[in-house]
Amino acid sequence: MTTLTLAKSLNEGMRKAMEDDPKVLVMGEDVGKLGGVFRVTDGLQKDFGEERVIDTPLAESGIIGTAIGLALRGYRPVCEIQFDGFVFPAADQIITQLAKMPLRSLGALKLPVVVRIPCGGGIGAVEHHSESPEAYFTHTAGLRVVACSNPVDAYTMIQQAIRCDDPVVFFEPKRRYWEKAEVDTSAADGWLPFDRARIVRPGTDVTLLAYGPMVKTCLEAAAAAEEDGRSLEVVDLRSLNPLDAATVTDSVRRTGRCLVVHEAPVFGGFGAELAARITEECFYSLEAPVLRVGGPSTPYPPSRLEEHYLPDLDRVLDAVDRAFAF
Amino acid sequence: MTETLVPALDPAAGRPGLSRLADDDLELLLLIRHFELELLRLYGRGELNGTTHTCLGQEYVPVALRPLLGPADFVFSNHRGHGHYLARFGDAHGLLAEIMGREGAVCGGVGGSQHVHRDGYLSTGVQGESLPVAAGVALHLRRTGPGALACVYIGDGTWGEGAVYEALNLAALWRLPLLVVVENNGIAQSTPTASQMAGTVAGRAAAFGIAHRLVVSADVNEIRRELEPAVARVREGRPLVVEFVTHRLGPHSKGDDTRSPQAIRAAQENDWYGRYAHDHPEHFHRFDGPARARVRGVADEVAARPPSRWSPCA
Repeated sequence: MTTLTLAKSLNEGMRKAMEDDPKVLVMGEDVGKLGGVFRVTDGLQKDFGEERVIDTPLAESGIIGTAIGLALRGYRPVCEIQFDGFVFPAADQIITQLAKMPLRSLGALKLPVVVRIPCGGGIGAVEHHSESPEAYFTHTAGLRVVACSNPVDAYTMIQQAIRCDDPVVFFEPKRRYWEKAEVDTSAADGWLPFDRARIVRPGTDVTLLAYGPMVKTCLEAAAAAEEDGRSLEVVDLRSLNPLDAATVTDSVRRTGRCLVVHEAPVFGGFGAELAARITEECFYSLEAPVLRVGGPSTPYPPSRLEEHYLPDLDRVLDAVDRAFAF
Repeated sequence: MTETLVPALDPAAGRPGLSRLADDDLELLLLIRHFELELLRLYGRGELNGTTHTCLGQEYVPVALRPLLGPADFVFSNHRGHGHYLARFGDAHGLLAEIMGREGAVCGGVGGSQHVHRDGYLSTGVQGESLPVAAGVALHLRRTGPGALACVYIGDGTWGEGAVYEALNLAALWRLPLLVVVENNGIAQSTPTASQMAGTVAGRAAAFGIAHRLVVSADVNEIRRELEPAVARVREGRPLVVEFVTHRLGPHSKGDDTRSPQAIRAAQENDWYGRYAHDHPEHFHRFDGPARARVRGVADEVAARPPSRWSPCA
């Protein structure tokens, strides 16, 4: 066991993947000498060379497009999008090429590209450094969309994403980059498959569905609710597409109440899909409608206002009250 | 940095004369021509639906390039790509089955006219998208397969897309074996090039320090002879933009031609098909009828096949 931050866990996971497979490449803006703005790729270029850790021009479409071309030739590129808001110039390549080529070719083309995106707010940054664009990608057939929430999962999930033959959009909760945990870096298997959800805190009264940065917020809410005698179950979805529907619906059928918590705007957000799905599959088990806690439909605000934007413990607990009051 | 290949003038006719083609080149040109005409016929009869983009008038571009590209090279095509595919593989059955959704389709009938994948060949209908992908393939080829190149076909309209410039920058920066073939037919769907492009393709290539060749000729032998050394230099990691001044005979897709009758007539007058028939009537007629009959036979055979069957990927 080693004590690692989430950022360092990702770094160690990528390092392991690069040691295991010479076809693994890392590319992106300032990922080499600098090691990325969050230092997630720190030291990789020094150890693996400029041929495998490629500093690219500021050209997100070019980065993802080049990665697709490299993947066509057998590489497994791991692309860093420096900030969530910078993924939009790459959207054309991700949505129109990366997601669709394997489907159009009936699986003849494998595109094992990982698109790493630091996501979400909470670090006092500007709008386009604080966004949660996951719903754009969950809506796109052909992409796996995953989000890690803690150092242990960061270490394993990045390696699983790199090994996977499908394109993966990999969201990293940037405000949790510096949180630490004990990580077992000796094991190479026996990991929970990365498309499976995990119940991170069992409970009996309400199911809280979260991913990425909101998992910790939900755990804090569950601890606070316990003092009021309410037992909250927290499910870390980990994979948004495909969705581990069995774990989700099993939980909701047991508790009868469900909240979905994410930073992204509620309107048209991933929570809407979860609410609809749970309503379809668990209707007769529900004591209350599925409630959503998330951001308002506005651009992400200036940093001095972000605490009003981001869901926090109080907003989660308010929603728990509403679920009970229904 | 820009060099222009000016057609040799035939003084008697007052316009460029086309040199006599090798039989297989003429056969391929006619295969592409009659394939495209057959598609339009099938649409007219309701046997195909949706739409398509024919390369009528531009067939000579991929035919001229055919022997300059080797099996290790990777070709990226676009929405107007039937000629590119047929010049690479000669596989009229597979392509027509793909477009008609019949058994034997190249991609199970899922890709259709614009999205065809085969070993070393990939097309997409979205303008400019292929360039960064071709840059990635070229990066691999530079590292591991010296002497091979990535060739990407684009049009004049494609130069409006930002992805083109991201890729050109990478190609020049990383010395990629990238051959960009521009089929400049003077019109982007309905918008004349002069109304949508500031400056020139040559100027844009020059901005990246990338060599540019302008090809005005439609003479397959001449183009091939002139381009051979330039393409060889691409294989050494010197990216190249080759701009063909060409002519789109038909509409962008179907029924959307906004050009004046004079402009369409000018395109027809430049058509290699009529010019070759005029310059080499015996050779032309020996192959033209059989090519039409061959394509009709392909169409009849493919149309009679059962629908292509496929299942979504796991």
